[in-house]
Amino acid sequence: MALSSVGKCFSSFGLFGRTLTGTEAKAVCCYHKKVVDHYENPRNVGSLDKNARNVGTGLVGAPACGDVMKLQIQVDENGKIVDARFKTFGCGSAIASSSLATEWVKGKSVDEALKIKNTEIAKELCLPPVKLHCSMLAEDAIKAALADYRLKQKDEEKVAEAVN
Amino acid sequence: MNSIRSFCVSHGVHRYVPSLQSLSVGSCAAARARFISNSAKNNRDYPQVHTNRIPNRILKLQHPTSNFCSSSAEMRSCWSCGSPAQLFFCSACKIIQPPNHGATYFQILNCDQTFAVDVPELQRRYLELQRSLHPDNFSLKSPTEQEYSEKQSALVNKAYRTLQKPVPRAVYMLQLHGVRLQEGTDATADPNFLLEVMETNEKLAESRSPEEVDDIGQAVRETLKDLTEQMNTALNKGDLQSARELLARMKYFANLEEKVKEKLTENL
Repeated sequence: MALSSVGKCFSSFGLFGRTLTGTEAKAVCCYHKKVVDHYENPRNVGSLDKNARNVGTGLVGAPACGDVMKLQIQVDENGKIVDARFKTFGCGSAIASSSLATEWVKGKSVDEALKIKNTEIAKELCLPPVKLHCSMLAEDAIKAALADYRLKQKDEEKVAEAVN
Repeated sequence: MNSIRSFCVSHGVHRYVPSLQSLSVGSCAAARARFISNSAKNNRDYPQVHTNRIPNRILKLQHPTSNFCSSSAEMRSCWSCGSPAQLFFCSACKIIQPPNHGATYFQILNCDQTFAVDVPELQRRYLELQRSLHPDNFSLKSPTEQEYSEKQSALVNKAYRTLQKPVPRAVYMLQLHGVRLQEGTDATADPNFLLEVMETNEKLAESRSPEEVDDIGQAVRETLKDLTEQMNTALNKGDLQSARELLARMKYFANLEEKVKEKLTENL
């Protein structure tokens, strides 16, 4: 009896090893190489001075998975986004989406950046349907950063008007 | 491999990405979780162990019993002799029954449907059920009975894993009320709260000594404890709106707790 249960244990580990390798191989294949690339070599990780007048900060979270994403943009006097940084604490797709978002906003005007859609991000990264919300998070982060920047500019205009 | 690992250290990896997580962490617990979910399908090597990791699919699981009527769990006839059957066995011929998917996890584990569930009692009940339902007990029985024992045993495992920890328990209880966490971003989230989550994550990513990590873990656990108490109050009052907001907060902090554990394991 004891021997037979030992045998069962071993057979279960044998099965375990095989299924695990199978699952891993399958799961790795599920990630598009572009996601893995952004995940391994994320672009523009870091922070900009959130108090600077020409920096807009967007902070968003996904309640269903508990991911948080911060995306910042720096805008020059001509209204062009000259720098962007992100910090994402979440899954590989969320990291890749925000990394790509920072690449895309750079060089665009504020209005152009507003037009970036999550579907474009998802398409570029070949995200599967269950990961679409990661690209939505990135789009919302861009929008939040642009809104923060515009709010700062408006406040500045008000101050300027008050002075004049 | 190394680059993934080092990036995970600085940025944290959400545990519900199976591939990247198994590449970077390769933790025993994750493997065990996978083993359990596989064996639930295979049923040949059914483990006694349960996992502390919460599979994300629980979140997506739309439980079919939101309109559950308590009598549906009781009023079944035995598939073999036709007498009234209980959840697991026939009261007359004692033969094992197929799983009753109309029963809630609380009914399966025979405990009160409350968020403040008695966890040691839950565990006692779980082990007791697995002792009588485990497929090993049915190796000499008919294929139908073997199949039912595998399915019942898997269902009991799922019920226990769901109710054991506060976050999946809250998710499940809200689902019973037809409330689910929204996909995508949380437009209503308090910016100060998100900032707190972000800063705690950053602090954890930058921490170098086990003491620092421990301190963060302590603070995270206290927040979770506080949120759990508030969740209990909200659910007792039937305040589903608050419960849903609290659940979102719990999710962020449960993630942090998981990352603290991962970081402590890496440091060892």
